[in-house]
Amino acid sequence: MQYVIVGIGGQGILFSSRVLGHIALSKGERVVGSEVHGMAQRGGSVISHFKVGDYNSPMVKAKEADVLLAFDQNEAVRNLHFLKQGGQVVVNTHEASFVDNPSLKSWLGERDAKLRTILGYDILKKHMGGRFLFLNVLILGAMCGAGVGSVSIDEVREAVRTLAPARFVEDNIRAVDLGYEGTR
Amino acid sequence: MSTKAILLGNEAIARGVIEAGCEVAAGYPGTPSSEIIPAIAKWADELGTRTVVEWGANEKVAFEMAAAASFAGKRSCAVMKQVGLNVAADPFMSVAHFQLKGGFLLISADDPGPHSSQTEQDSRFFAMFAKIPCFDPSTAVEAKEMVFDAFDLSERHNVIVMLRPSVRVDHCRQDVELKDVIDISRPASFEKDPKRWVCLPSSVKVNHPQLNAKREAVREEFETKFAKYNFEVPAKGKAKLGIIAAGVSFSIVTDILKSWGVDNVSILKIGTPHPLPLKMVEDFISRHEDVLILEETYPVIEMQLNDRTGVKGRWNGWVPGAGELLPEVIEEILCKVTGRKAPEGASPKLKKAMEELNITPRRPMLCPGCPHRASFFAIRQTLPKAIYPSDIGCYTLGVNQGMVDSVVDMGASITQASGLYMAYKVDGIEQPIVASIGDSTFFHMGLPGLASAVYNKHVFVLAILDNNLTAMTGGQSNPGIGDKLRDGDTGRKVDIEGAVKGCGVKWVKTTGAYDIAGSRALVKEAWEHARTHEEPTVIIFRHPCMLLKEKQAVVPVMVDPEKCIGCKFCINYFNCPGLVFDEKLKKAYIDERFCVKCGVCINVCPHGAILGTEGEEA
Ligand SMILES: Cc1ncc(C[n+]2csc(CCOP(=O)(O)OP(=O)(O)O)c2C)c(N)n1
Repeated sequence: MQYVIVGIGGQGILFSSRVLGHIALSKGERVVGSEVHGMAQRGGSVISHFKVGDYNSPMVKAKEADVLLAFDQNEAVRNLHFLKQGGQVVVNTHEASFVDNPSLKSWLGERDAKLRTILGYDILKKHMGGRFLFLNVLILGAMCGAGVGSVSIDEVREAVRTLAPARFVEDNIRAVDLGYEGTR
Repeated sequence: MSTKAILLGNEAIARGVIEAGCEVAAGYPGTPSSEIIPAIAKWADELGTRTVVEWGANEKVAFEMAAAASFAGKRSCAVMKQVGLNVAADPFMSVAHFQLKGGFLLISADDPGPHSSQTEQDSRFFAMFAKIPCFDPSTAVEAKEMVFDAFDLSERHNVIVMLRPSVRVDHCRQDVELKDVIDISRPASFEKDPKRWVCLPSSVKVNHPQLNAKREAVREEFETKFAKYNFEVPAKGKAKLGIIAAGVSFSIVTDILKSWGVDNVSILKIGTPHPLPLKMVEDFISRHEDVLILEETYPVIEMQLNDRTGVKGRWNGWVPGAGELLPEVIEEILCKVTGRKAPEGASPKLKKAMEELNITPRRPMLCPGCPHRASFFAIRQTLPKAIYPSDIGCYTLGVNQGMVDSVVDMGASITQASGLYMAYKVDGIEQPIVASIGDSTFFHMGLPGLASAVYNKHVFVLAILDNNLTAMTGGQSNPGIGDKLRDGDTGRKVDIEGAVKGCGVKWVKTTGAYDIAGSRALVKEAWEHARTHEEPTVIIFRHPCMLLKEKQAVVPVMVDPEKCIGCKFCINYFNCPGLVFDEKLKKAYIDERFCVKCGVCINVCPHGAILGTEGEEA
């Protein structure tokens, strides 16, 4: 299973791959992935590769990702080339209308790719006082809700419980659940 | 005990350092190496070792600290990024000749791409230049393993050994086995022996031939005893094509061939690129009709061959001479070499979608609320005609605000200010110059330049942007902060103002970075003083970095669309992710996804269109 996780520096995408890693390890699976640290973390485009299974290289090659998780819709579109035939995309959106773009629709059709959106900012504004730093777990919940990827919502909850700082565990779980409900 | 954990490559390397019984470690942060030193401290705390682990003020300092600990018989290591080794090159070249005592590991992390560096130089070349052994890991697991062998090799041959992880090893995440610390209790004992420890020319006459002999002895070992790092992945049947691959390129090429289901290609993996096991490599070449060499980023293996005319590599253009060897790049090379149809490039449909949706890659920007942005704004508003030499740190992103005119390397803001002053002085022209430098960079290499400028009476203003953090590399401590790494270890804060005065600067004042009006007044005064007294002046701009998440006033803001005339002044001069321009409405607006409510932009709009909303009627 190969994941590509994309977003904007500062959105906390690294935590999402840590959660996926924690789950894989607890199932005794082999894991390798690649992260972005440094300059790009200052608000630039960031990307994280994550592979579960018998791989050596930490990077996903174009057209091989099973799942693209995007914290930002623009970054989603910029990284669609990673998606394999029949791959799936889960996108946090701020302007849902982008999915109506005909070229995009036709490309997704050709690739037999499914794209699910979640209005993460609106949801966090409404339910969690606009604390957007919970996007990273909300999107994992959304992934499970959409039935995408190789992990279950219970596994995500459990991993988040273990990995999140004690003070924020409950908030994190709430965000996971909001994401889950949002795409179910 | 042996358990598994998913670690960042750098955490795995650090774990190896502690498990191998290393007792002294020093480094200076720099992507992609920055996590190694803090992880050494973390493992040392967790495993209860006595290891002393510290940040040096720069890489030369760190290297020399670690080297001297080896003179006293301790296993030690120095950690830096590739350009850090440029700074430490002087002691590195010298110590390479020494007959060392304790095992001495140099970790120099490379950044092919580059992702976060001013060059994509190859540290393995430095190992070759210094004639010392180098390990080039393909994975985090292998990097950790190599740490043990590097210490062992270093101790057996009394020579520095380099581990050269590239960014994809440093920042990969992988399941790694954790082991216990090996016990090598060994009291510090420096034995006086000037022939051994004083680098006199007369010693070089002995040491240099000895270094050559060590290199050949190590090469012999690499030929025969390091099969776990140098090995052949044989093809099924007779292979026409043989690939020599090192570092991450090995991992990538094996994954690609596997996904293609191709098994008639043999691969020679090289984990010790210097000194190259030449017999092994030349034998491999002689057994294949066609040979391709994949290594990052310079042709280090290639150039050690006695005859490279028969191989496909960088010298004949089969492998690009610059840039990271990404999976897609390697795939393309493999297609060319094997005559396979190349995968089609970017889809025109996707391209069209991106154009229609106006999507471009996001450039890095200073964080919302970053104090540097406010400091730069105040300087540019006060001395718009100045030249702005700057330096390396988050504030290099001030380039987006027109506040960074030239950057060379760490510390060069001050020396460039000097050089620019000298150039204009020749013509008798008074040219305002405002240099900017961060707190960590000031201690790294700012001090010699400042002393030199005071000595030579150079006229410019130096802005020290003190955000109380080494921020660009993820938030490390430095002498201006005083925190140390291990639990319970305390340091002492070095006062920046005192250091500036100690360099002989007469006019130095401090301002709050968010206080734009106050800063403007100081910039004016500083320049007036500099030009009338013919000396450099220094302003320290202070405000904690946003990464520190310190409590500060919350000032929600809005853009009044009535007052906004769409001039983009705020975008061009202030450049905040939270303040964006609506191209359709031709108005600026606050993007609440990013705004942190620092309130600084209220002072920015010349038309008074940015307003605080606190206490406003709904
Ligand atoms: C010789 C060298 N060592 C290390 C680095 C990596 N590096 C880039 S910026 C930076 C730190 C900058 O810290 P500071 O000057 O305090 O500025 P800030 O990022 O906090 O604004 C470092 C260490 C480098 N580019 N060159």
